[in-house]
Amino acid sequence: MNIKEVLKELLLEDKTLIHMPFGNGNCDFNKSVVLSWVFILVVFILILIFTHNMKVHNISKRQAAVEGFVIWIRGLAVGMLGEEGKDYATYIVSVLVFLACSNVMGLFGVVPPTMDLNVTIALALVSIIMVEAAGIRSKGVKGWAKAFAQPMAVIAPMNVLELAIRPLSLCMRLFGNILGATVIMELLKHILPVGLPVPFSLYFDIFDGLIQAYVFVFLTSLYIKEAVE
Amino acid sequence: MLSVNLWNVLWTVINLLILYFLIKKFLFKRVDEVLEKRQLEIEEASKEADMMIEEAKKTKAEYLQRIELADEEKEQILADIKKQGYDEYERIVNDARRKGEQIVTEAKHNAEVENERVKEVYAAQLADMVVEAASKIAATKHSTENDRELYDKFISEAGAKNE
Repeated sequence: MNIKEVLKELLLEDKTLIHMPFGNGNCDFNKSVVLSWVFILVVFILILIFTHNMKVHNISKRQAAVEGFVIWIRGLAVGMLGEEGKDYATYIVSVLVFLACSNVMGLFGVVPPTMDLNVTIALALVSIIMVEAAGIRSKGVKGWAKAFAQPMAVIAPMNVLELAIRPLSLCMRLFGNILGATVIMELLKHILPVGLPVPFSLYFDIFDGLIQAYVFVFLTSLYIKEAVE
Repeated sequence: MLSVNLWNVLWTVINLLILYFLIKKFLFKRVDEVLEKRQLEIEEASKEADMMIEEAKKTKAEYLQRIELADEEKEQILADIKKQGYDEYERIVNDARRKGEQIVTEAKHNAEVENERVKEVYAAQLADMVVEAASKIAATKHSTENDRELYDKFISEAGAKNE
């Protein structure tokens, strides 16, 4: 099996999972969306289990772990966002969880939802909307508009272009990385299905997946930080 | 996969919002509630501890003051007692002195009275003797010699009686 066939299979496969009887196929649900439901449900159940019966005193190890996790992950987000942008920490954490879950989906033998361009486009869109909304919220519409002409008026067109470039780069970087990782994993599985994919899976599915999630939220928070300053 | 379908983009956005809501409402809010409660309790406890320390300090100062006062009071009481003792001593001594003087005076008076009485008795006896002597003289013959003899006798008798 050569790379062309793998790519063809991965890219041109029909990703629609649930066909809606109306809307002429436009309202169908892609596999990625359904997979997102699955991991959102899993995350929700985990949250419910971990936050069940929280106490102020005599806490269980489970509660200590979840408290430590919340403090750590929020500290991470606030560290990237800066003090002024800490209102957006919950959003950053959500995106991080969403991406981390989707990217490691490959471990379970399914195609990661982030390998669907629709998902990465959606994430990038929400992120750029958040960035601009944060800018408007902290500076007002006037200040936000003026910020395009900074540090000098000459680069205003560049700044306006960035409105499109930033989400595009976010979206494509994520999509490309996950696609590449998945393609390599598919090829490796075809070469030797036993043993060989294990170390590579560790790298591509876990390490690269988490790194990409981190890069995505890091850049988003960087933009937000820049917007609110 | 490369086909972009707006609906699926929208679904993903909704998924993300759902995840955001779940994390916010069920993870962060719950944990924050606990953390806040604990923080509040810690603050309260430390405030209470501060208050207790303050109170203890106050009580200690009060007791120290009280001890000082007690010392002073002790001194005062001792001084009072000493003074009372001196007064009493003085009073007793004075009383005794006065009583002694009175006794002495009484004794003197008594002695004087006794003396008077004795003198009176003596005078009465003397008068009797004089009367007796006079009658004797009158009864006997009278001569200068006799008279002298009589007088001598009388004087010696009187002296003997008076002794």
